[in-house]
Amino acid sequence: MPVRAPITAERRQGIILVAFLVIQTLAAVFYIGDVFGDLAGHGVSAHLVVEALVTLALVLAIGFGAIRLRRTLDVLRAQEAALEVARGALGEVIDGQFGAWGLTPAERDVGMLALKGLDVAEIAEVRGAAQGTVRAQLTRIYSKAGVSGRAQFAAFFVEDLMGAGLHAKPAE
Amino acid sequence: MPAPLMSPAGGPPALWDPIIRLSHWALAIVVLVNAVLTRGGSALHVWVGWIGLGVLALRLIWGLVGTREARFSSFPPQPLAALRHLGELARGTPRQYGSHNPAGAMMVYALWGAMAVVMATGLVMTGGKTPVQVSQTQSVIESGDWTTLAIDDESGDDDSETDAGGKQGGLAHLAEELHEVAANLILFLAFLHVAGVFVESRVMRKNLTAAMLTGRSDNRGA
Ligand code: HEM
Ligand code: HEM
Repeated sequence: MPVRAPITAERRQGIILVAFLVIQTLAAVFYIGDVFGDLAGHGVSAHLVVEALVTLALVLAIGFGAIRLRRTLDVLRAQEAALEVARGALGEVIDGQFGAWGLTPAERDVGMLALKGLDVAEIAEVRGAAQGTVRAQLTRIYSKAGVSGRAQFAAFFVEDLMGAGLHAKPAE
Repeated sequence: MPAPLMSPAGGPPALWDPIIRLSHWALAIVVLVNAVLTRGGSALHVWVGWIGLGVLALRLIWGLVGTREARFSSFPPQPLAALRHLGELARGTPRQYGSHNPAGAMMVYALWGAMAVVMATGLVMTGGKTPVQVSQTQSVIESGDWTTLAIDDESGDDDSETDAGGKQGGLAHLAEELHEVAANLILFLAFLHVAGVFVESRVMRKNLTAAMLTGRSDNRGA
């Protein structure tokens, strides 16, 4: 299941920077063409000097714009990487806890599917097992975990997630 | 440095950066439109060509200051490494690279080079006139006033060889030949390029085209 990254301020900034860069570059190419055309046609004139300066400013703006865009993209990617780590870290936390509770491999799978929000019928279908088997496995999981039922089971890890915090820190 | 959006094995990005994707499809469209749809030398042809010129310029600037995978230093031209990669590909054991693989890199430079030649010769043929000026000249001619042809030394015009002096006419003629040869070369290279993308995608079992569009579909886990 693809997880779309949220539209953050950086993402919006990136899109705007790309749009500006494209427009600026197209404009610059036409300006440069015009400057050379004028140079060939009429030689140096005040009009030409102004046009050349405008063109130069545009080219500089493109350079700076490109560097800004690079920075923005780097921040965006660092955020995604941090999110990825957070997701991976949560997986590790869950794995570690399952181990601490002494779940069997089959119980680990069922527990993971339950955490992902599948109900008994769905888990049974995914695992190709009878619903009664799955129900029995879930009961054993809850008792090993010392929780009253599915809601408390899920809450156990949500709490962990809140504690760890999901702040994406852009690495410099 | 963040390790961004790289596929787990450290291969090429699961999603190329926006400037790469934008310039890729814009240049592909420019090439196809000008090679197939527009009449060579028409105002529309020159407009599309100039847009291509701008996009190519942007991509080349981006090759100097852009993201890691966009920079030329990430995919230097190495003919020998390119041959080695093709050998590995044939044996089904290609290595992974952080940007274009060496064979892909050679193709990329060849495509850009041929595009640069087409654009440069196009400019020579039109005397460096901007599309606006070309449109103007052509609408004036179409309205029946042929004097602009006499005043301008229209190096792009076939008959100009007689009145504009041998050197000019020779240059225009050479540019025209080069323009056509390079344009056909681009089409040939693009065909090889797409075939290469297809083969590499099959061997590596991942959708390289998706990384050039928006998807990362099968490139990421989960
Ligand atoms: C990637 C972009 C381009 C492609 C694929 C392309 C392709 C072509 C082709 C196939 C022809 C027909 C050649 C012939 O039949 O003699 C042609 C003609 C022409 N092109 Fe382009 N072109 C491109 C860009 C440009 C640009 C940028 C310009 C000008 C700035 C330009 C100006 C011309 C002119 C003036 C002709 C007429 C040549 C003649 O007098 O026969 N083209 N182009
Ligand atoms: C006239 C058509 C085309 C031209 C001129 C062209 C040109 C290029 C260029 C210059 C690059 C390098 C991109 C960069 O670094 O900025 C590239 C890469 C790429 N192109 Fe195209 N392309 C064309 C058509 C296509 C088509 C139709 C596809 C898809 C089926 C495609 C798929 C790709 C892919 C996947 C890459 C990345 C290669 C890699 O993994 O290293 N291209 N192309």
